Amino acid sequence: MIRLQSTPLNTVKDAQTRLQLAIGVEFGTLPPYLYALYSIRPGTNAAARKNLLAIALQEMIHMCLDCNVLNAIGGNPVIQVQPYPGPLPGDIGPDHTPLSLHLLPFSPDAMQQGMNIEEPEDKPDFPVRETLALAAVPTAVTIGQFYRELDDFLKTLPSTAWTPNRNQISDDQFFAGQIFPIDSYDDAHKAITEIISEGEGTQSGTTHDPLDFQSEVAHFFRFGEIFHDRILTKSNDPQGYAFGPDKFGVDWNGACPAITDPGTHDFSHEPPSAQAAQKACNQAFTNLIDTLQRGVSGTAGALGEAVQAMFALRMAALHAFTVPLADPTKVAGPAFLYQPHPTGGAV
Amino acid sequence: MSVLELPRIYFKGKVSWDPITTNNYNTNYDEDQGETIYPNASDKVKAFREQAINEVTSDGNWNPQGTHRVAFYETAVNGFDLDGAIQTKDPFVSAAVNFQGMLVDLEPFGAFTSQLFFDSMLFGVDGGYRIKLPRTMRFVDRYLNFSRNRVNAMIAGRASVVWQSSFAKSNGLSINAFDSKALQQLDRALQSNDILGLTVRFNSYRTIYYDDPSLTDVPPATRYATAAKAQQTVLNAGGFQPNPARGLVVGVIGLWRAHEPAQEPCDRTLIPAASALGSIWARAKGSKLVLDLSNSVPEVDQDLKKKDLGALEVGTVDPDGTNFTRLASFDYSQYDRQAYEASAGLVTLDIPKGTDLTKDLQVRNSSTQPQFQELALRAIPVEPNIYFNEGDQITASIQVYKRGEPLKAQAPVTLFEMDSSGGVIVNTTLTETDSSGVLLLPLPSAKGQVVAYVPSVNSSDQPTAQNGINPQTCTYQYIRVHPADQDIASLAPTWANVYEKVLANWNAMAPCMDNWLDLKDPGQIKAYAPIIKRLTDPANFEHYRYMPIVRDLSPGQRTLLYKFLDGPVVAESHQTSFADLSRSYRRPLRS
Repeated sequence: MIRLQSTPLNTVKDAQTRLQLAIGVEFGTLPPYLYALYSIRPGTNAAARKNLLAIALQEMIHMCLDCNVLNAIGGNPVIQVQPYPGPLPGDIGPDHTPLSLHLLPFSPDAMQQGMNIEEPEDKPDFPVRETLALAAVPTAVTIGQFYRELDDFLKTLPSTAWTPNRNQISDDQFFAGQIFPIDSYDDAHKAITEIISEGEGTQSGTTHDPLDFQSEVAHFFRFGEIFHDRILTKSNDPQGYAFGPDKFGVDWNGACPAITDPGTHDFSHEPPSAQAAQKACNQAFTNLIDTLQRGVSGTAGALGEAVQAMFALRMAALHAFTVPLADPTKVAGPAFLYQPHPTGGAV
Repeated sequence: MSVLELPRIYFKGKVSWDPITTNNYNTNYDEDQGETIYPNASDKVKAFREQAINEVTSDGNWNPQGTHRVAFYETAVNGFDLDGAIQTKDPFVSAAVNFQGMLVDLEPFGAFTSQLFFDSMLFGVDGGYRIKLPRTMRFVDRYLNFSRNRVNAMIAGRASVVWQSSFAKSNGLSINAFDSKALQQLDRALQSNDILGLTVRFNSYRTIYYDDPSLTDVPPATRYATAAKAQQTVLNAGGFQPNPARGLVVGVIGLWRAHEPAQEPCDRTLIPAASALGSIWARAKGSKLVLDLSNSVPEVDQDLKKKDLGALEVGTVDPDGTNFTRLASFDYSQYDRQAYEASAGLVTLDIPKGTDLTKDLQVRNSSTQPQFQELALRAIPVEPNIYFNEGDQITASIQVYKRGEPLKAQAPVTLFEMDSSGGVIVNTTLTETDSSGVLLLPLPSAKGQVVAYVPSVNSSDQPTAQNGINPQTCTYQYIRVHPADQDIASLAPTWANVYEKVLANWNAMAPCMDNWLDLKDPGQIKAYAPIIKRLTDPANFEHYRYMPIVRDLSPGQRTLLYKFLDGPVVAESHQTSFADLSRSYRRPLRS
């Protein structure tokens, strides 16, 4: 499970550092989620695809909101790429063993990894009760706690710490109602509250509600629905919810036979078509990073370019998942490697 | 009848509208033939796209890179009514209302026939409190109110409109009620044999453009010009640059009873008797009278303050409008903004038991001036908007209603044939319904065209030579006949022919297609042949992802396309690599 290092928050610079870390955490979840999503064969697992897409889109939104908060308090967001396998930025794990994230095709392991990433601090016991060992590691916090600490500190900042309309991304083109400018602590608090609830659900007293602030199922439980192949259903037991009895409709055979962690794979011995597919994926991903960086830095229209780059990455990834490797029973999805062209730009 | 029956559930929220607007101009698009009109250039698609961007500032083409997508957001259940009083304490209250559709006008140049093609609608969440509504038919809009908010004077921001669709209980509709009394009662009511399913009716209003509620298109409109210029600059810089409009919705979900029109209101209809008002629908039963004011009372400012019409009286009158007998009254607090949003504009009033409800209803103000007057007879098309192909033998059906119930008698009908704009009366015919009040109307199919019919059953529901269709008083049916295009069908299935006659139309008009398919790349078209055939299959016409979104593919075009898709594989050398694609995405359109 993810446990982020809780560093002291005493200055605006500390908050900026933590927000940059949050950006890295949100963005770092995307490649594993997208790898699983794009590895689903067309025509299968419609419900799982819908869940995974919803999660991935919300992670992008969370990252944009983090960027807005960071920009509002004078920072400059940087879209950083991390290797897979590897831990999320700042993850120290519950027992000082960070969770190494892998690029896994659609599978129970991939869903379990998603649950590990999104696990709330008070993980509810539907379907299996487990005990968390948080108390023994006071400096390691869940993503939710990580944000709550940040929220507590931001609350203490004077109004002069906030610069309205600085490099803000709004919902005027994409994600209606989900991305909003951050001009003050109130805006930042709203953003953080939404981020936490969409990941973990909401807490009401001792009861954990798996629904987020919009009464939609939170990420941890969306992964759980796929993992257990059961729809999270309201029930009369004390927990209030249970997985099932209705099936979610998962067909694990609907996944492409993709290798894990293509970033560590040696493609030099693979067919040219597979090499070309990897190259196209990396170019598309690099283009996405570059355009996204301009988008979060206040360049007008750059978010539209980033969204188109995202579509291009999707197309390249879907293609890659159909190209056989030398072992014709295997394919490889995108490695999510940033490979800028020596003369600048992605290609 | 309808959503005015009990029980019913209210919702409110916001909606994003993202249509491509380039085909709204007869200089860009031939709606009869369903073809793009290109500028004279060697690369006509590129030139067309550039022209569309130029029109952002020169001709009000506010969204050349739209997607047609429509989505509710921040929309949730906010109340319900089980016994004539609004309630908000129920676990289903606050449930999200999810809807995503494609906004398509049957008549591209006009505003009378917007439709929402979609696959399903969901109130709540799977596994929780939920109403699951697989699509039975598309949403259709009617009763466009051009005077809803004259202060919000930007494009269609002044207007509001009523949307309606119905969902058959035999078509996968399901309710998970758990301990929700609102859902339990709705579920119970559904069990009646006379109930076909559920109807969703919502009103959309206060649309804003360029994400700026302060914009106006009233000259000199300098802020609008600045916003348009900025958008044009972004479009010219490249990328995917939609410019969705945003609006508000209030709505209600309730019962769909047998014999009720599925896609437009058919309750007792009170048309405006004073200016700047929109029609009311009413239902009276026992000691309750329900008025649907969702589209009726204008807002007077950007803060959505409702116009204060003062205390209003509802009564019955003789056919000549005299002899007003008061039934009930209601004051401003019952139709102000707060009340409007709480119950989607529905107002429930107590009326004396035993009231003679066979007379016309009228709503008066305190000065006894009529504000709304009932039209007892309404002629309503069973299918409001119909698409078919040249040569098809199609007969439309129009049902005459009397005070919200099907008229079971012959009735004279004056049928007005209008041009596609709805502004010109082309022909007038006197005809008659059968003994069930049904008029069967054979539709013309000699050529590709868009035509409107207005069936009139009284003197107040007729179009005029001066103004054409008045959507507050007229009922109407639009048809779009796709040309057969047999000449296109007979062409050799070469890439050049397929691109020229079919795909270039989409490529020019819908740059958003670039996001998943390069329409000018025969290799990609071939690679996606099974998907393209599925998406263009007439059997999938109602689906959210049907192609082309604007539903103007003619039989001849489809034949040519399929011959190409089913033909030999195109040589590999024609295939554009993803690297090329990626590169192309990074270039401005003009380069």
